[in-house]
Amino acid sequence: MRRRVRLLTVSFLMATAMLSACTSNSGQPPPTSGPAPGNAQQQEVPAKAVRNAELTVALEAEATSLDPWNSTDSNTLHILSTMFEGLLTLDENREVVPILATDYKLSADATSLTFHLRKGILFHDGSPFDAEVVKKNLDYVRNKENGMARASFFGFIKEVTVVDPYTITVVAKEPNSAMVAFMAHPSATFKSLKELQKKIDDPKYNLDRNPVGTGPYQFREWKNGQFVKVAAFDGYWDKEKPAKLAAILFKPVTEASTRVNMLKASEVDIVTSLPTLDARSMGTDPNLDVYSGPSLNMIYVGMNTKLDKYKDKRVRQAMNYAINKEQLISQVADGFGTAADSPLSPLVKGYAKQQGYPYNVDKAKQLLTEAGYPDGFAATLWTRNSTEFVAIAENIKMQLQAVGIKVEVQAYESGTLFERLDAGEGTDLYIGRWGTGTAEADWGMRPNFASDRIPPNYNNSGYYQNEQVDQLLNEALKATANSMAQQKYTEAQKVIMDEAPWIFLYVPDVVIAKRKNVLDVGVTLDTVRLQAAYKQ
Amino acid sequence: MARYIFGRILGMIPILVIISILSFLFVHLTPGDPIRIMYGAEMDMATYEKVKANLGFHDPLYVQYGRYLQQILSGDFGVSYKTKTNVSDEIGKRFLYTLGLTFAAMFWALIIGLVVGIYSAARRKSIWDRIGIISTTTIISIPEFWFGLMLMQMFAVQLGWFPTSGSGTFAHLLLPSITLGFGVSAIIARFTRSSVLEVLQEDFVRTAKAKGQRESVIIWTHVLRNALIPVITMTGLQFGFLLGGAVVVEQVFSWPGLGSYLIDSVLARDYPAMQALILLFSVQFLIVNLLVDISYSLVNPQIRYE
Repeated sequence: MRRRVRLLTVSFLMATAMLSACTSNSGQPPPTSGPAPGNAQQQEVPAKAVRNAELTVALEAEATSLDPWNSTDSNTLHILSTMFEGLLTLDENREVVPILATDYKLSADATSLTFHLRKGILFHDGSPFDAEVVKKNLDYVRNKENGMARASFFGFIKEVTVVDPYTITVVAKEPNSAMVAFMAHPSATFKSLKELQKKIDDPKYNLDRNPVGTGPYQFREWKNGQFVKVAAFDGYWDKEKPAKLAAILFKPVTEASTRVNMLKASEVDIVTSLPTLDARSMGTDPNLDVYSGPSLNMIYVGMNTKLDKYKDKRVRQAMNYAINKEQLISQVADGFGTAADSPLSPLVKGYAKQQGYPYNVDKAKQLLTEAGYPDGFAATLWTRNSTEFVAIAENIKMQLQAVGIKVEVQAYESGTLFERLDAGEGTDLYIGRWGTGTAEADWGMRPNFASDRIPPNYNNSGYYQNEQVDQLLNEALKATANSMAQQKYTEAQKVIMDEAPWIFLYVPDVVIAKRKNVLDVGVTLDTVRLQAAYKQ
Repeated sequence: MARYIFGRILGMIPILVIISILSFLFVHLTPGDPIRIMYGAEMDMATYEKVKANLGFHDPLYVQYGRYLQQILSGDFGVSYKTKTNVSDEIGKRFLYTLGLTFAAMFWALIIGLVVGIYSAARRKSIWDRIGIISTTTIISIPEFWFGLMLMQMFAVQLGWFPTSGSGTFAHLLLPSITLGFGVSAIIARFTRSSVLEVLQEDFVRTAKAKGQRESVIIWTHVLRNALIPVITMTGLQFGFLLGGAVVVEQVFSWPGLGSYLIDSVLARDYPAMQALILLFSVQFLIVNLLVDISYSLVNPQIRYE
């Protein structure tokens, strides 16, 4: 009997030790978020560090395509940004700066954008970069026959004119002051004409797998499910900013806990999309840097404005007042987020802080009573079935219950959810996440609130229609002066906030972690920039 | 025997046709539009329709099925929507990873399962038997996901003995195969135990005992031959399951096998890959079952197939 007791005790102790090994890091104080790792510290690169190292990055999913026009997910951009460059880009302060262009000029009526191109640039395959390349690239992606994922993104272009071999003009269908931001987007990058010609000659040629750009790194290998490898490109045009690493390996690791373990075990150098709970504990590890800062994303609850109960603005406002955003952020995002005070993330150009909806249950109840729903109503909330989204949904359910709105949560796998939203049948409340990839206001609001963006296949799944918003967005696009555009965007945000077609929840943080010996890693527009990165 | 095997293989053909129809319908009727998933929310209708036409979605389902059948009969599983690479090539590469993982897992499972099962049965109602039962019950109830992460945390992160995930070396194989094998070992142990116990009560065992044969001799020569039949069936089934993609373990350890391929394909609604994988898993199951049936006669030559 005594032996049995001893055995049980030992087993229990072992089990406890194993469990504590798994959770020993929780409960630590949170790390302080700071500037993008390495951004602020432009240190001199030690000579011996140059190209002696290979960097490994764990991504949350596999790349969808290495053709910048055929991928729309932000995950792929981490890889693409090492190989492809555009005429313009955004710097760390999200200001537009030229790269492959030397300068640019938007016409006074905002209908055309002229670029002077940098000379002497070669693609990874040795072919030259010039105005013809830009024209052929843009003509190809815009052509709907080619079925490129980014075709609609470049839909604003009427024509592309080659002025001379190093001057090109992009003409818009109608005045469009957001054109500059679109041309600075990571999708507006260029591939070699040789490659493009292969695709034109043989439609079966796989451009998704043969990326040839002008960036400091060139494509080496893509092993499905295992890695994408890029290596330093010796012929890079900017001799002052050559690749400092021999190669970068991007590994898809879908399981977040595994990504964290890989970083702890020094098997990877950088982890993107770090779970917020782990970010807290990892911030205290002396070998790791955790970076967190606002993203371009917005998490919201959409409402089907065609339904009677959501037709009254007061109901929509009441639901905004009923949610304690701070509590939501702390409970579901471990504090890594900012309460929404506009339909846009504060990082988006054109963002203007609005009064928002402070947590006020009494006000919510009062508005519901005024609207004829003193006892609330029943609602169905659709969400993706991921842990994070289900947690948000449950929190919303709990909070809305306090004002009498009885919510039933229905979780779907994301593909199913999109299809249901597109079908437009049975939609009531739904949790959405919108990322303003261009970091400018038009792309932040038009896809979600413009009358012509209702489903199928568009993102205005709440069928919100408001002439004033449509008009303001159009006027902002036509405005040539920045101040005028800003004024229109500010007004549009004010109207949208007041109209409350969404429950505006929060802007989640981008959370990445890296090993301390990796320097000069940048984070711009939710994308990890590794062009200047090196290892000590 | 040859006639039996030939008959079984012939019998697989109608089953495979039914599976191909069901898998085709299942894949095409699953909610979620592959184009929308591939190209995001903001695709204009003209481009959408163009992509849809390119993928042949405008044709009625039976036409699409006919095309699919024609394709697979010529040994072509099409091009993946997501990776734009040939599905057959991809399956070929990933199959080896899954096969390796399955064999390694079955190796652990059989060693642990048989030893624990036989020993527990032989020492029935002893403390070791109880420990065996309790630990196997516990192991069966532990989610593989958690168990894998725990092993990773201990042996890869804390002790640094093995890589956390990925593939390439024998060391990469160890933790995922143990994670997989442990769950199966518990099932095999319990099956072996009850099967051995059952056979131990047979008359011929009593006779052997009466003749004064040693217990170990009785178990190894008389009991196991009979007791292993249900164990083989269970092992075969488990092998088929593992070969059909050890989905969770492959996800946790980023193992580039068929399980993770299936998950990626389903999430992307990659129809060609999903269809090919379902068909492949079905064929695997049929083959494994056939091999299991044949192996009965190898274990116990008294079993004959006509």
